[in-house]
Amino acid sequence: MNLGPLSRILPQAITQEDVVITHEDVDRAHDRVRVSAARAQRGVFSRFRLLWLLVGPGILVMLGENDGPSMISYAATGARFGIGFFIPFVILTFCMAIVVQEMTMRLGSATHRGHAELIFDRFGPFWGWFSMIDLSIGNFLTLITEFIAIRAGLGFFGVPPWAAIVSALVFLCLAVITHRYWTWERTLLAFAVFNLVFVPVALLTHPNWHSVGSALVTWKPLPGGLSQDTLIIMLADIGATVTPWMLFFQQSATVDKGLTTKDIGLGRIDTVVGAALAATAAVGTILATAPLLAHHMTAENFQAAEFAQALQPLIGRFGAALFALGIVEAGMVASVTISSSSAYAFGEVARRPHSLNLPMAEGKTFYSVLFLCAATAGAIVLIPGLPLVYVVLLVNVVAVLAMPPALVFLFMLANDREVMGDLVSPRWANILATSVVVFLTLAGVLFGISVIAPNMFVFLGGK
Amino acid sequence: MASKDKVHSSITSSDQELVLASLEPEQLAGLKKHLIPRRHLRGLEKFVIWSLRIYLLFMMVVVIYQVWTSLR
Repeated sequence: MNLGPLSRILPQAITQEDVVITHEDVDRAHDRVRVSAARAQRGVFSRFRLLWLLVGPGILVMLGENDGPSMISYAATGARFGIGFFIPFVILTFCMAIVVQEMTMRLGSATHRGHAELIFDRFGPFWGWFSMIDLSIGNFLTLITEFIAIRAGLGFFGVPPWAAIVSALVFLCLAVITHRYWTWERTLLAFAVFNLVFVPVALLTHPNWHSVGSALVTWKPLPGGLSQDTLIIMLADIGATVTPWMLFFQQSATVDKGLTTKDIGLGRIDTVVGAALAATAAVGTILATAPLLAHHMTAENFQAAEFAQALQPLIGRFGAALFALGIVEAGMVASVTISSSSAYAFGEVARRPHSLNLPMAEGKTFYSVLFLCAATAGAIVLIPGLPLVYVVLLVNVVAVLAMPPALVFLFMLANDREVMGDLVSPRWANILATSVVVFLTLAGVLFGISVIAPNMFVFLGGK
Repeated sequence: MASKDKVHSSITSSDQELVLASLEPEQLAGLKKHLIPRRHLRGLEKFVIWSLRIYLLFMMVVVIYQVWTSLR
């Protein structure tokens, strides 16, 4: 058998007699056989087949993060600021996401352990529980917003709220019903590609491509001063691309898929392709709602469906329907990925079986957590009179604030030579990762100052 | 290692061979119950993670305050 980097600090495990081979192992082995067969062959077709077999976690995590609140944030950005500073800014945030997510893929491939598991083992339960609490709160709030998005998006077509929530939960059940990671991943990938529906919506608005090109090069026009509202939009856009659940999800999915150190190169391509697709959809959404600014429409309190309705006079019923469908798809895919992220993390911490390859009888805890998280969040959305709009606005801000502590653990793990061996992060990756932590922390501090000391915020250049 | 492994009753010997030939040892679900040894945190590392923990708790209070003022 091949040995990975972790074998050096798990010598007793290699010779243990109590290893139990499970159905999860058998399913993963079948997947690996196909990967080995594709790798053994030469030729361009075999290279593409190998790539096809190995892509998944990176694309899913990036398109999964283009979720309900993220698309609403991008829509709000386009409607309030039009074409300008925020287009290159959003692309920059996806570059940050690539830096961060590459580390999780590398960690998962090298250690075959999930992120929660590694934090608990390496740093102890004290810090492990802090990370789990951050993840649980963030995931649950985000899940609520996914169902808000699904409800609002399907509401555009006249679907009643209860039916929208039930259909989302049915979709969740269908996605995991085969108890096979491969099927789950491919089903979800097929749905996730519909995130690009925002691109044709953008084309229907006939964007000024000269302005788009100019914005990409010059980062102008600027938002017109740094007000607290502008800052919240900036934080929401950052939170729309880098959040704690992504770290846990991609590492767990990498492990569940069975990627090894040989697959790291193609895992990087998977992550970059995912970021490119997600950035395209994000920029498409900003371009799609930019005409609302030109037509002086106030979009401050818009939720998903209102954006579609406001766009209808400009791009017609078909375009507006596409926009609403895009919001539904964003919510549906993210509700599955985020529930899975919670279930993986719970299983890793509770030392219970945690894999989408588990038959129902062996994975009762895993599937129960997955369904319960989603069902509870869906039920909350149906409670009348709750101020859901605040949850939508703040969930991405909370995600940005929770990122620096999560990133420091990721940074330390990715540089831990005992578990990573020669696969520790290179210096340039550490410089980029440190820059991301500093940037996110400063953005959070600036937000804090704008709330509790507005005068100082003005002194610092805000308004 | 293969001869000593236990298997689920419904898993055949060919499945077992496939698993042992295709997966790295640490990929086996059964081996994941073994904890990875804990590492010692250095002073600077403790300072950074404590600082960021305090930062996060403080910022959560700011967010709750922001929500409260917005609702009012």
